[in-house]
Amino acid sequence: MLKVENLHVSVEDREILKGVDLSVGSGEFHVIMGPNGSGKSTLALTIAGHPKYEVTDGRILFEGDEIQELGPDERARKGILLAFQVPPEVEGVKIIEFLQHVLIELKGMDPVEAYDLIVEKAKELWFREEDLHRYLNVGFSGGERKRLELLQAILIEPKLLILDEPDSGVDVDSLSVISRKIEELHRKGTAILLITHYGRILGHLDREKLRVHVMKDGKIVKTGSGELVDRIDREGFAGIFEEVGA
Amino acid sequence: MTETITMRDAKEIIRMQIEELARRNREPEWMTRLRYKGLEAFERAPHRDPVISEEELLQFIAKPEVEGIPEKIESLDDLPPEMKALLDKLGIDEVEQKYLAGLAVQTDTGVIYNQFLKEWEKKGLIVLPTEEAVRKYPDIVKQHFLRLFRVDESKLTAYHTAIWNGGIFLHVKEGLKVPFPLHLFFLIQESALAQAPHIIIIAEKNTEFHLIEGCTSPVLTRHSLHLDMTEAYFHENARGQLTVLQNWPEYVHTRPMTRAKIGKNARFINTTVTLGSGKSNIGDPHYWVDEKGYVELNGILLGQKDFYIDLGGRMFLQGRGAAGINASKAVIMDESTVITRGVITAEAPKTKGHISCDALLMSDKAVMETYPGLVSKVDDAELSHEAAIGKIREEELFYLMSRGLDEEKATQLIVKGFLEPMLKDIPMEFLVEIRKIIELAVSGGM
Ligand SMILES: Nc1ncnc2c1ncn2[C@@H]1O[C@H](COP(=O)(O)OP(=O)(O)OP(=O)(O)O)[C@@H](O)[C@H]1O
Ligand SMILES: [Mg+2]
Repeated sequence: MLKVENLHVSVEDREILKGVDLSVGSGEFHVIMGPNGSGKSTLALTIAGHPKYEVTDGRILFEGDEIQELGPDERARKGILLAFQVPPEVEGVKIIEFLQHVLIELKGMDPVEAYDLIVEKAKELWFREEDLHRYLNVGFSGGERKRLELLQAILIEPKLLILDEPDSGVDVDSLSVISRKIEELHRKGTAILLITHYGRILGHLDREKLRVHVMKDGKIVKTGSGELVDRIDREGFAGIFEEVGA
Repeated sequence: MTETITMRDAKEIIRMQIEELARRNREPEWMTRLRYKGLEAFERAPHRDPVISEEELLQFIAKPEVEGIPEKIESLDDLPPEMKALLDKLGIDEVEQKYLAGLAVQTDTGVIYNQFLKEWEKKGLIVLPTEEAVRKYPDIVKQHFLRLFRVDESKLTAYHTAIWNGGIFLHVKEGLKVPFPLHLFFLIQESALAQAPHIIIIAEKNTEFHLIEGCTSPVLTRHSLHLDMTEAYFHENARGQLTVLQNWPEYVHTRPMTRAKIGKNARFINTTVTLGSGKSNIGDPHYWVDEKGYVELNGILLGQKDFYIDLGGRMFLQGRGAAGINASKAVIMDESTVITRGVITAEAPKTKGHISCDALLMSDKAVMETYPGLVSKVDDAELSHEAAIGKIREEELFYLMSRGLDEEKATQLIVKGFLEPMLKDIPMEFLVEIRKIIELAVSGGM
């Protein structure tokens, strides 16, 4: 479904991704781990089409089509959704109105139908109806923003959901809600590419079915099964990097 | 410019217009004398307009109508095609379109107002065309007419005084709280006279009202200069809102002159929503605020094409505990320029003032300048200002687009969102249209 080939990405003339290869089949569950600054968010944002990240070499394919020239909106309409590590505040834009627009555009719903669905799904992520009349992310705590990203994911039900640290800064109870919702989406067929620093978000997911990639300095240096996550949780990255000579 | 108009010519034209107005309005002698004072001051009064030269002003006096507007609008098909297209895009129905085109109103008297207001007159709400008020309530009008301006402050005040016509007189008697917004929309399409409505607002003790003036849709005006003057008097504990909605065609210059006295504990919220794309809009409203009084000047500005907007605003906090806020939000597109220069002067203890100015620049040629002025004559006033001028943030745009909204839609949302907090006091029926106009402007459809 998603195929990243020899991807080189620069920001302001500084090369950050230095040849990433990654392949995510439909319905699969992939995890990306790696130290701070290794390029995980850069990879996520590049796949989503952030204009600041310039692809200098390589290709991104989605369902067989090259997408690196497409705008972020076109990628979203193809079925890619990125849940941001740091979602920005958008002053004056009410969550409910924004989500209605999104559902009208992406799913062809009518506004009333969209409204009802949003309110219903919001409850599952602990948002009250009045919260939805606040401005998008404005004044929201870190954890609340992560729940709001997930709300968008369950409303949009993308083919590929990229989650950039949905667990960072999130309290224990919210973490288990978020983790359950990711599993739910995955069960319904959404392919997942999840960036995280800790195994906890993976809950009881079958480790055998996970594909784990470890990034360092803009490259994927190791790929393995779910066991890798627990190993990194226990020992950190040093041992792995030593093994692969990175 | 066809022929040169001399000062002598202009004065002669003004004189004839005064005579015509005096006769037609059957106005008391004092009013005609006041008009002549305007005429007499016109030549010596200074002219400081940065856009309209003195020569152009004289030219305008001789010929206030713009060329190219069809002589007679007899059906909607006679409207300029751009205006017709815009009204259609805004989804304005035929009846209202006729109204905007001047087809549904007579062109000889000033104000269109509702029959049911007659009922409210008994309760102490007086709303009348200013000409009629001059005849009906001469004493009250005399006490409030041209008391907050000097005739000879500028050529524009002098000219306005001489030939003012149209406008409304709003008098809210003690204790009356008007429970509905009063929407007054005046369309005077008299060719020979300049548009110079005079508005008087008197809010007695313990009153409340919300006056909405103008409309959000584009209006077919025949005049290139709009010279309105508003004088408002708020007595103790009066609470009033004046919301001015305007959407001018691109050839119109507006020079709103607004002044208000705000009494003890009184409160005045003065909001202006400027849409469309006029030629220029220059104003410097003044407010004198007494003990614990409060004034808020809110400007929502959409600058399109080469619209030149220069908005001042002087607040004199004269009573203990008086407060003033001058806040503007501007979306500046194309080659438009917006300048804000509010000044708050603290003249009494414990006064508070704040100036804020936010601008969203939508093109490389858009210009924003802000010159906040804070003057304190006491040692315990709290005065502050803040300004933020910038473009749409890439992060916000990307975020919205990454959810499947195209650039145009995402930009519309951000621009509407930027203005949204300032639109809190605008009734819903206008909000819907304001939002639609912003959307159209953002997508270059206006
Ligand atoms: N927009 C940008 N401008 C400048 N430098 C950037 C930008 N985005 C990323 N970088 C740089 O690229 C490198 C990789 O950043 P990235 O955010 O992808 O790391 P990460 O793996 O997501 O880290 P973390 O675990 O801390 O989230 C860092 O050195 C970062 O400073
Ligand atoms: Mg990151």
